[in-house]
Amino acid sequence: MRWLRYLNQWRGTAKEALEQVSIVAKFLCLIHVTDRYIISSTHVQGPSMLPTLNLTGDVILAEHLSHRFGKIGLGDIVLVRSPTDPTRMVTKRVLGLEGHRLSFSADPLVGDSSISVVVPKGHVWIQGDNLYASTDSRNFGPVPYNLIEGKALLRVWPPRFFGSLR
Amino acid sequence: MASSFWNIAYQQAMKSGVLVAKVYSFLHVTTNYLAFPAYAFGPSMIPTLHPSGNVVLAERISKLSRGDVVVFQSPEDPNKLPTKRVVGLEGDSVSFVVDPGKNDESRTIVVPKGHVWVEGDYTQNSRDSRSFGPVPYALVQGRLLWRVWPFQDFGPIGS
Repeated sequence: MRWLRYLNQWRGTAKEALEQVSIVAKFLCLIHVTDRYIISSTHVQGPSMLPTLNLTGDVILAEHLSHRFGKIGLGDIVLVRSPTDPTRMVTKRVLGLEGHRLSFSADPLVGDSSISVVVPKGHVWIQGDNLYASTDSRNFGPVPYNLIEGKALLRVWPPRFFGSLR
Repeated sequence: MASSFWNIAYQQAMKSGVLVAKVYSFLHVTTNYLAFPAYAFGPSMIPTLHPSGNVVLAERISKLSRGDVVVFQSPEDPNKLPTKRVVGLEGDSVSFVVDPGKNDESRTIVVPKGHVWVEGDYTQNSRDSRSFGPVPYALVQGRLLWRVWPFQDFGPIGS
């Protein structure tokens, strides 16, 4: 019966601990909702968006509202979940919306053979700015619109490149 | 004296607002990471689901396997959320009849990496991967776990 008395003594402390934990949990929920649904910062790297984005990595601010209202347009840089690897996100530029006809070169190093496609309903065509080092819609085809998860707003790091992305 | 009324009103409004925000955040995180309810209707999943409508519980925790009934965002129309069964995972070879109305000609496709092949249980009246191709894994929203309504059919949704 002594252990029951022990438990009673700790009851006050336990209650306070629970309150503190719940405050932290609520704060984390709020941060999470903002980060995922309103605006977030992302580290992007790789050669596929040169010269717009640096090879060694940039931190960009991306907003997650436009794609829910259908406000993704031609020329937007978007964060897309890769159709070949659902655990990865890729950053590319939208070059075609549904119904658009595009031509692209099958192999930009070799040259002329050009393929023409029409972007099907509910899809977008994404390409990296660096055609020679980018795996994009030219490889995996047009991407369903719902795979778009954000639109890049501006670059915040490195500081000398701070500003809008064009 | 009038200003203190407005002060109190403002404080009450703030308290209620904070409570609403907390409840909403909690519900939101639960719905997005654990489980969510859904209303499924249509003939494409007979006899597993009633064409006239079912309220089901879908979960987002498990990794998909063959035979799971899933809710996903349609690759054809970003606003639609069809419910179909996963018939093939990435790397699987799936065979299907291309145009059952015309002839018996069948085709075999290997499901590409990062995609799943979905088909309705009632293949005669189902628009699925046989029409719009394999679905990228990231478009899958959840796996149907339990039927809540109609009450006579309360219970798990099986393979």
